[in-house]
Amino acid sequence: MGVADVLKEGPGKAFMLCNEAIVRGALEADVKMVSAYPGSPTTEILDTFSEISPKFDYRMEISTNEKVAIETCAGASMVGMRSMTSMKSVGMNVASDSFFSLSYTGVKGGMVIVMADDPQAHSSQTEQDGRPFGPNSYTPMLEPSDPEEAKRMVRAAFALSEKYGVPVLLRTTTRVNHQSGIVSLEKMDRKPFAKLAWDHPPGRFVTVAESARNFKHALLERTKKIEEEFESSEFNRIVDAGSDVGIIASGAGYNYAVDAASILGIKPSILKLGTTYPLPKGLIAGFLKKLKTVIIVEELSPYLELYVTAIAKDANPAIKIYGKWSGHFSEALEYNPNLVVEGLAKALGLKMPVEYGAILAKAKELKAGLPDRWPTFCPGCPHRATLHALLDATRGMKHILSTDIGCYSMSFLDPLRYGDSLLSMGACLGVAAGMQYAAQEKVIAMIGDSTFWHAGMPGLVNAIHHGDDLTLVILDNEVTAMTGQQPNPGRDYNAGGQAAKPLVLEEVIKAMGITDITIVDPYQVKAAVSPMREALTRKGPNIIISRRACALYADRNKRKRGEVIDTNKVDTEVCKRPYSCVRSFYCPAISIDDGDRKAFITKELCDRCDVCAKLCPYGSIKRREGE
Amino acid sequence: MSQKEFSVYMSGVGGQGLVLLSNIMGAACAASGIRALTGEQHGLSQRSGSINVHMRIGEGMASPLIPIGGADAQLALEALEALRYVEYLKPGGVVMMNSRIQHPVVETAAHVKDKTAKYMSAEVVKERMSQVTDKIALIDALSIANQAGNPLTENMVMLGAISTLEAFPVPEEALKQSVRDHVPPKAVDVNLKAFDMGRKVAYDLLCNIVKCRQ
Repeated sequence: MGVADVLKEGPGKAFMLCNEAIVRGALEADVKMVSAYPGSPTTEILDTFSEISPKFDYRMEISTNEKVAIETCAGASMVGMRSMTSMKSVGMNVASDSFFSLSYTGVKGGMVIVMADDPQAHSSQTEQDGRPFGPNSYTPMLEPSDPEEAKRMVRAAFALSEKYGVPVLLRTTTRVNHQSGIVSLEKMDRKPFAKLAWDHPPGRFVTVAESARNFKHALLERTKKIEEEFESSEFNRIVDAGSDVGIIASGAGYNYAVDAASILGIKPSILKLGTTYPLPKGLIAGFLKKLKTVIIVEELSPYLELYVTAIAKDANPAIKIYGKWSGHFSEALEYNPNLVVEGLAKALGLKMPVEYGAILAKAKELKAGLPDRWPTFCPGCPHRATLHALLDATRGMKHILSTDIGCYSMSFLDPLRYGDSLLSMGACLGVAAGMQYAAQEKVIAMIGDSTFWHAGMPGLVNAIHHGDDLTLVILDNEVTAMTGQQPNPGRDYNAGGQAAKPLVLEEVIKAMGITDITIVDPYQVKAAVSPMREALTRKGPNIIISRRACALYADRNKRKRGEVIDTNKVDTEVCKRPYSCVRSFYCPAISIDDGDRKAFITKELCDRCDVCAKLCPYGSIKRREGE
Repeated sequence: MSQKEFSVYMSGVGGQGLVLLSNIMGAACAASGIRALTGEQHGLSQRSGSINVHMRIGEGMASPLIPIGGADAQLALEALEALRYVEYLKPGGVVMMNSRIQHPVVETAAHVKDKTAKYMSAEVVKERMSQVTDKIALIDALSIANQAGNPLTENMVMLGAISTLEAFPVPEEALKQSVRDHVPPKAVDVNLKAFDMGRKVAYDLLCNIVKCRQ
């Protein structure tokens, strides 16, 4: 697993993360243009493409946002090149405006869009089900269950895309993207990169009014042909066990259904659907005809269930259908083997082979008093210091904090519990604009640099244009930190380390028309307070930039340069237990000794940002020497 | 090739090298012709949060997630993170856990409010988990890793420890080769040393109650 396996000469086998297998599939299919914005659970696709890009001749951009990413791929594929973009569920919303039009205009070179949903909202603001994007836009959609299948589907998706001149969706979910398994590697048959001549008539990719109406008729014809092709697709498989009980499943749900049947000791017939738009209605009808009972195992919305129910009306009206509508499965949260065992057992009137409820009850009892461990700011994280300074600067100031998507979103979790609203990338500004009209309190918007470039700029333009009275705090940590410190437009490099022009936040904002810009260093956690407070008391719109590199990024760069990362320790002779280093700070490296109740710094975690030392009124936190 | 199935639930705190550990195991499986699949956590949860990897080795299973009560073993790089996922352990399954505790910030916050508050200890975790199994090895991986020469090799200590189990189907040499393939060249020796020291400590702590390889 890792880049070495992605690069391995085929044929062969390797243990790969599904996201790496997707990259491998694209390389085998000779992809020539890659553009994406990072977002879990797709990030490793971008990271892998970026890391290996110096070894290949495909062109790659880490785009400012998903809409730009999909458009960049569209442009290359209009010319005739194969392109791939990847995005998480909510990123698809950002890209969707152009995505819908693309199904109308089509493309010439193969174009594959990886769209990854996040059931359980592990790292997303909603549990969005992206599958309706398929039928809603008439875009063909493939859904893998594991890394091996994902790689094969990517290859097939490129071929399908070129055959019908339409982008193809590869729809995944977190438990597919972040699943590793053994993958068969094929030969990478790559042709050298060469620019192509534009060989289209004028207006070929223009969709509006008359041309849109023409495109619509053509895409309906196209969809019909693709559905016919999907009737015999290798990605739709029937395991006919001769049973009158059947399961229809796709994606991650299929994996759980197979294991659940085995745990229950039953042998139902199984239809695994890999082409989830357009659905092979004939294949489904044929499957239903042999059954008395069908159980549908799919995460999130009853997408397949809706179609299966409609198909059953003619194919087999007497069939019993179990799924979400029957109450056997939930539309909330991701599935797992035991949930599916329970659903199947309930539907089929079987005895539970394992009492999961009893195991969970016992575990709950054993875990009494076990402290939660939510994700939190890393040791050395500048956000922790910015938030500490902001809380100091706003002491006694009634205010609302409209926050945004990034590591700083975690401020709403225990123990800080700071932040009043969070909707989507860049939304802090529009929301703050509405709040300052409606609320009596001071309104503060908070955004990271990457999110600002991604979707914050239109909101700021709006606030400046209308003179909205708000203060925007930009936490500039130099990179897209949360997803793994990818470069953003503020850096002088991009994918694969290639040179790029860095944009300077304050220069861009000044050009937009704001001169009231306060820049602080959050590591100077006390010195930052009064300039922040002064800025917050002035009429908005105005800006505070809190600038300091992401600690993970800075530490990695230090290690690369061979620099030693110092650590701090508490001088217990001096410590008088004011807990200034703990309160409103909560660094994972700092705990309180159960014996002397003094603060204790874990050497292995500290990166000597030295902020806690600045907060200590007694000066008891000092550099660790000679240990 | 047909292998006995083995599922190990692995957990720790973001930043401890858990994903590297599962990559090393998985690649060793691939090189040995053994089927393996994992369900991993990436992204937000890495930020000093609780993380887990479901590691499944063998031919039969399709789900990357281990069912509740389905793990033959638990491997925890941090003691609290063993208890957090105890429902996955089969009754009587093997637990290998690092005695190191990283105190969650919410627990430290509670210490400020309550002067009598105590952190949950590895001994308490072991005592609680002993209600599910009697096969628990509490391993001081940090001090072993330091003896090996690098505190970041705690994950290798734990890998060495689990490799001693007779039921763990991956050959020792394949694991060692996978370590060589996955860590930077200059770190190979210290990682292999930590691996061997982990094996030794498992023989001392566990192999009197669990079947180990000779």
